[in-house]
Amino acid sequence: MAAFAKSDVRQSLEAIRAQALAELAESSGLDQIESVRVRVLGRSGELTELIRSMRELPEHERPAVGQLANQVKREIEARIESLQHELRLRKLNESLAQTPLDVTLPGVRFFHGHTHPLTQVTERLLDIWAAMGFEVVATPDIEDDFHNFGALNFAPDHPARDMQDTFFLDGGLLLRTHTSNGQIRVMEQRRPPLAVVCPGACYRRDELSVRYSPMFSQIEGFAVDDFGKITMAHLKGALTEFLRAFFGPESEVRFRASFFPFTEPSAEADVRCIFCAGAGCRVCKQSGWIEILGSGMIHPNVLRAVGYDPERYAGFAFGMGVERLALIKLGVDDMRLFFENDLRFLGQF
Amino acid sequence: MKLPLSWLREFVRIEADPATLGERLSMAGLEVEAVERLKPAFSGVVVAKVLRVERHPNADRLSVCEVDAGAAGRASVVCGAPNARPGMVSALAVVGARLAPERADGDGALRPPLEAAVIRGVRSEGMLCSERELGLFDNHRGIVVLPDDAPVGRSLADYLELDDYVLNIAVTPNRGDCLSVLGLAREVAALFGLKLGPAHSRPAAPRLGHAAADPALSIAIEVTAPDLCPRYAALPMARVEIDDSPLWLRQRLKPCGMRPVNNVVDVTNYVMLELGQPLHAFDLDRLRERRVIVRRAGDDRELETLDHVKRALLKDDLVIADGVGPVALAGLMGGLASEVDNSTTRILLESAFFAAAGVARTSRRLGLVTEASYRFERGADRQGQIAALYRAAQLIRKVAGRCELGAVIDVEPHPLPARQVEFSRERVAGLLGISMSAGEMARRLRLLEINVKPAGKGRLVATIPSFRADLGEAADIAEEVARVAGLADIPTLPCRPLKDIGGEDQRRALLSVIRATLTGCGLTETKTLAFAAPRDNQTFAGFKGTAPVQVANPLSAELSELRKSLLYGLIGTLRFNLHREAQACHLFELGKVFYREQGELKEGERLGALSYGELAFKGLGERGRIADPLTLKGVVESCLDALGLSARVEFARLPPSLAPHLHPGKAAEVRLDTGVSLGQLGELHPELALALELDYPVALCELDVGELIAYGSLRKPVAPPPRFPAIRRDLALVLNRDFPVAQVRKVIAQADASLLESVELFDVYEGGSLPAGKKSVAVTCRYRAKDRTLTDQEVNQLHAKVTAFAMERLGALPR
Repeated sequence: MAAFAKSDVRQSLEAIRAQALAELAESSGLDQIESVRVRVLGRSGELTELIRSMRELPEHERPAVGQLANQVKREIEARIESLQHELRLRKLNESLAQTPLDVTLPGVRFFHGHTHPLTQVTERLLDIWAAMGFEVVATPDIEDDFHNFGALNFAPDHPARDMQDTFFLDGGLLLRTHTSNGQIRVMEQRRPPLAVVCPGACYRRDELSVRYSPMFSQIEGFAVDDFGKITMAHLKGALTEFLRAFFGPESEVRFRASFFPFTEPSAEADVRCIFCAGAGCRVCKQSGWIEILGSGMIHPNVLRAVGYDPERYAGFAFGMGVERLALIKLGVDDMRLFFENDLRFLGQF
Repeated sequence: MKLPLSWLREFVRIEADPATLGERLSMAGLEVEAVERLKPAFSGVVVAKVLRVERHPNADRLSVCEVDAGAAGRASVVCGAPNARPGMVSALAVVGARLAPERADGDGALRPPLEAAVIRGVRSEGMLCSERELGLFDNHRGIVVLPDDAPVGRSLADYLELDDYVLNIAVTPNRGDCLSVLGLAREVAALFGLKLGPAHSRPAAPRLGHAAADPALSIAIEVTAPDLCPRYAALPMARVEIDDSPLWLRQRLKPCGMRPVNNVVDVTNYVMLELGQPLHAFDLDRLRERRVIVRRAGDDRELETLDHVKRALLKDDLVIADGVGPVALAGLMGGLASEVDNSTTRILLESAFFAAAGVARTSRRLGLVTEASYRFERGADRQGQIAALYRAAQLIRKVAGRCELGAVIDVEPHPLPARQVEFSRERVAGLLGISMSAGEMARRLRLLEINVKPAGKGRLVATIPSFRADLGEAADIAEEVARVAGLADIPTLPCRPLKDIGGEDQRRALLSVIRATLTGCGLTETKTLAFAAPRDNQTFAGFKGTAPVQVANPLSAELSELRKSLLYGLIGTLRFNLHREAQACHLFELGKVFYREQGELKEGERLGALSYGELAFKGLGERGRIADPLTLKGVVESCLDALGLSARVEFARLPPSLAPHLHPGKAAEVRLDTGVSLGQLGELHPELALALELDYPVALCELDVGELIAYGSLRKPVAPPPRFPAIRRDLALVLNRDFPVAQVRKVIAQADASLLESVELFDVYEGGSLPAGKKSVAVTCRYRAKDRTLTDQEVNQLHAKVTAFAMERLGALPR
């Protein structure tokens, strides 16, 4: 079969290549490309057949021709692959352009709840005191007269008791009117040195109103150590540090003499009004200062009541109303908001 | 206490403006809550003397008065007042004056300027005014009557000191001495380094009248309860002319909030405001048997007081009695029968020191607080009685005729020496955290009339003035030393923590994790009041204790008990929000509940949760899943996970009798493996839900926070992730319909196969081809070895063993 000469094969290969590439260049769809592939590269395709027939070439000619054939085959395959990829990509891009997302649609929210603003304020207050080395201790709401009044130097029938109109239960028990019972509860159990804060609910016979609630929360704090180690100057230092942590490092703080049965000397701490910067406004009643908390050196009678010798020990104590601090901090002016639990209010915190 | 600045200035020459004065007092512990500006309700009115009064030629009821207005000249005015008399001193509105508005309830604008006018043919160049026309008092019976020595021509506003400031001072309960002009003047003098004016601080004994021998003024006074009344002084007076008080006296009382009654009563009030000593005036002729006995009420049961209220007496109430029975409630209020009225001519002025505790007890029991009781409760001046009597006598003589005085009767069984407080300089300085010499301390205390002398061995002794009942020991002295200079004088020292930082606050940390988990699950925290109505406590009885705790003095019947459960409050919050636009509510509260246990009052902390309506993770137009007991259970399980309790907790069917507020078929007890009950979870009983008109079920849960904290922990074991893959095999079992699913896992987990890592439920199916009364439960068993990859064959063998075990133990059929 001399007719099957080397030059013929070469020519045939070139022809197949030229035709295939030309057809591929013309083709506009995956189907057309596939038909070219089947016709040329398929099991009985033109190129496949030709390569199969090359077995009949003289041995010495085979490598060169074979090389050419492979080159043609790879070239066509590569062109097919790249055309297929190109077309697929074009198709994908066309389809993507048809399903655009309105990016102004709202996101689908992972809904979370909210802790109560009073909780948030309480936690912040406790964090500050804890960072200052005060331990947080829980104490009871149901109290007896001794722990709520007697041990705190409220004489029976003394008008100081009128400052705190009490809810009475039975068996001589009552609902604590302040968290100051915490002082007595803790000191009875332990010996100085002590630095403790007691948060909790308190109760006084006030109707729920813009300014008052029959149930509210306080944080009582106190520190006791050997006489001379804890002084009024330390009280001022502790409270100033606390107030600046809570209201901001620039806050101006002042101390006013006052009266509480369980402290002597007693002092109220004010901060420069955060609403008017001291110019005078409705919140500070034109005084330029906001009353924040009551404090003082623990009264010797209180120390005696828990069996501490006032010659040996001294301490300071302070108490603050959480609602009041929250109202000031949040710029809200109605106590009832905290207890009616309107989700439109609570959802803002 | 309301303090008119003009009155204060009678005692101390304070030049500071009211704001500065108020600030200084506030800093010293006498909080000035408000400074009120007083202004006259008129202008252009002067003190004028009526020279002549003639009948108006053309009107019977009018007169024509010739008046002398000093520098303002003379004027002729037409006047309709019946009391216009030659020689009297009154108030003349000159042409151009503006008078008080006609109606007190109007807009407050003054009347238009007064013009000269011709009245019935007679020219009138001004107007003589009544008290009402000047906006002073509602008295229109005649023109103003001023004392004969009032300065003619002077502006009436100046003369009456109507342009004034009133300081409203919140006097703390320890400072009874500051409930008077004198007491506050002492403070002002101390704070500003001024001297008290001598005028009224120590009134001299008035000269006794000639009536001392008048037998009608003799009266026997006896004190049988010296513990409640350590001192009782009294002064009888005769020929007293009861009338209205002069304008100046009434004008003094008005800004202090006291209404005028008559001259004698007004004087007693005036002296009380001025000196702080409450006084009482009896009609002497109404004291039967001419005796006064200060005693306990004993068998006397009742007294009708001045306010026409019949007061029930207890045997220990202190009363003033005459020879027959009680005539006054000591320190509180006089009796009606011995009241001073227009017919009175002889009086007995009482000036006593009643012990604070006794007055307080009676006052509190009767719910009666008077100006007198308020002062006695806070401690009157122990030695102030006689000075007050003298001052009152002096004033009564000035305003109630030239009355005659009897002898002062002063009963004081046990006179009290001046109190002394011994202290050391170190003690005071050590409390305050200052260094200060004893001399400086003494100087400061002297400003407050506290005299300090050395007491040897470096100690000092302070003599306490009789009006300072509040000063008893070194701490009190320290307060005075600090207060008088201002607390700003005390240094501000850093307060270093007293204990080691770093001790974990387990309780707070656990509560914080609980809150974080619940809010992460979409629940919002609420706070409700701890008070409940009895019917709410019956419906939502909590899960511990029996009877509720009652409040003895509740604000209302609706708030007469303490809540036994948080659930009612949560339902109230749900209702509140559904009425305000809410579609769904997912809530929790951490709070206390109260109950009785074996007779004792107990309190416990609870976590209450309520979930109602759609769960919110959803896109536009999509429906969220509706909350039900299982979604809330999921929330609870998340919490238990966070507390490291999941593996130890089981949910068991709760008999309806134990939770009548829950759906009888959908109620669970949450229980620890030790049997400790952690609380309940379920659906609100549909019958209770009816009233709420709801669209969906309400899922409820209440847990015992005390137990959660006691058993929970944030320290959970940590393991590295497994290195070799697990192989899963499913297992489906057909069981009776009412077989609790949790049992399936539990039982399979007991199979003897150490490589069985976990058993997870993935499907529960009923109906279809299953026999009636049966359900199919499908679980995935996960097998894993720590040290190698398991082979299929190995796992197949294991799983066959586990399957056989499960079938047998559960009595299940294969699917």
